[in-house]
Amino acid sequence: MRSGLSAIPIRVEQQDATASTGTIGGGVTALLVEIASKLDRLADGDEPSAIDLRSMPMSPADREQLLKALGQGEVVITLQADGESTIRETSMHGVWWTEHFDRDGEMLAAFIEIARVPGILFVDPDELRNSARRLRASVTMALSLRPN
Amino acid sequence: MADDPTIGAMLDRHGVSRRTFIKYCTAMASVLALPPLVGRAIAEQLRVAQRPSVIYLSFQECTGCLESMTRSFSPTIESLIFNIISLDYDDTLMAAAGAQAEAAREKAMKDNYGKYIVVVDGSVPVADDGVYSCAGGRSAVDILTEAAKGAAAIVCVGTCSSFGGIPFADPNPTGARAVSDLIGNKPIINVSGCPPIPEVITLTLLQYVSTGKLPDLDEHLRPKVFFGNTIHDRCYRRPFYDEGKFAKSFDDEGARNGWCLFELGCKGPTTYNACATIKWNNGTSFPIESGHPCLGCSEPGFWDNGSFYSALATPHWGKAGEVRPADVAKLAGAAAALGAAVGVGSAMLARHRQKMTVGTPDTED
Repeated sequence: MRSGLSAIPIRVEQQDATASTGTIGGGVTALLVEIASKLDRLADGDEPSAIDLRSMPMSPADREQLLKALGQGEVVITLQADGESTIRETSMHGVWWTEHFDRDGEMLAAFIEIARVPGILFVDPDELRNSARRLRASVTMALSLRPN
Repeated sequence: MADDPTIGAMLDRHGVSRRTFIKYCTAMASVLALPPLVGRAIAEQLRVAQRPSVIYLSFQECTGCLESMTRSFSPTIESLIFNIISLDYDDTLMAAAGAQAEAAREKAMKDNYGKYIVVVDGSVPVADDGVYSCAGGRSAVDILTEAAKGAAAIVCVGTCSSFGGIPFADPNPTGARAVSDLIGNKPIINVSGCPPIPEVITLTLLQYVSTGKLPDLDEHLRPKVFFGNTIHDRCYRRPFYDEGKFAKSFDDEGARNGWCLFELGCKGPTTYNACATIKWNNGTSFPIESGHPCLGCSEPGFWDNGSFYSALATPHWGKAGEVRPADVAKLAGAAAALGAAVGVGSAMLARHRQKMTVGTPDTED
């Protein structure tokens, strides 16, 4: 619980998110069209792209509809990097639903990435060299500890 | 602190993987309303960037800004973000004191001449040869002038260094000045607020380090990415303003319902800052969410702009004949924000109530 508001006997009127955006559909349709054109551009050799879901004025209902339209795909990736991250491929190949959380389970970022492989998964050359160095160090260590 | 050649090397040494760092920068980009993949690009740029030397100068201030800034690095990766800079001098945080501390400052300035960043916290008093703020027998204005010479840029943290702040308040007995009043030939970024939001301070520094360029600044030299919108524009209570639902006094029905605090003196409509979006204490809340009007602390002259509890658009009772053009522009902006008839009506009501409760404020001050 991040704030103690529920413990205080006051009533805070919040705008109902579902009500405030009115009828659903229009925004989600526009998003789907945008994703489709991004897929075309990726196929034609353009760079991967992404759509920030948190910057969209989406109601929970909009979000559900978008999730449903994209569907569940074949790949689910969990990343443990200072908190959990999940990357799910949707039933549309190349459309990845990514959510980053911190250690307390608080959402840090949520976006749809249009890419062959989500960019965060790639390993760069420095990391490869680093891994090789660490492996050699552990081999050296193991050899030095082996009884003759 | 070991001297890592790049930020990437430093992060590796601390066991922060590239993916963790990308994730962190992606979250940052989300806060900054940048496209998600820009966060990844920032991460890659930062990893190969050099750690810049930072000299933190404290003058006429209360240390609230530094307190705020240190709250930005909780025991997560944010603490490491602080390692992205090489903080070579900060008389409050450093272990060294006296001549040793001053030697560290001089060494950092010499070794990184033309490249270091000066962070200034506090206003600079110039009355009576600057005697009102001295360290090591030298005046603030002297120390600042010397440090500014070899600086790549100056980042003013807080309203005091940005605009003069509380020491500048009438009658300003120490002759307090903003850094931008005294230093004319260096790039200056103002991160105002009393104090500024911790993430705004660190992200401004980070943005400068990752790009090596000044961010887009507004007319008060503040980064537009954080100071581009008014509190009012981004306030979650804005719908109540639009509906004409106002708290009329603290603890009345409207206040308990969480209605708009405009009539209680909220300066949200004329205050540019990111409190309503980034919020405070790790995104917990911000003053309006806690039921208190915005004081307008990130604006120039906020301490002299009348009562914190008189509604905007009530007469601005500064000294007679002391109407500054900036104030007129600001009031015009407020008037535009008040376009809705209901807003104007409530302002008139508030003015009426002000007279009833405060008496005749126009003759005060």
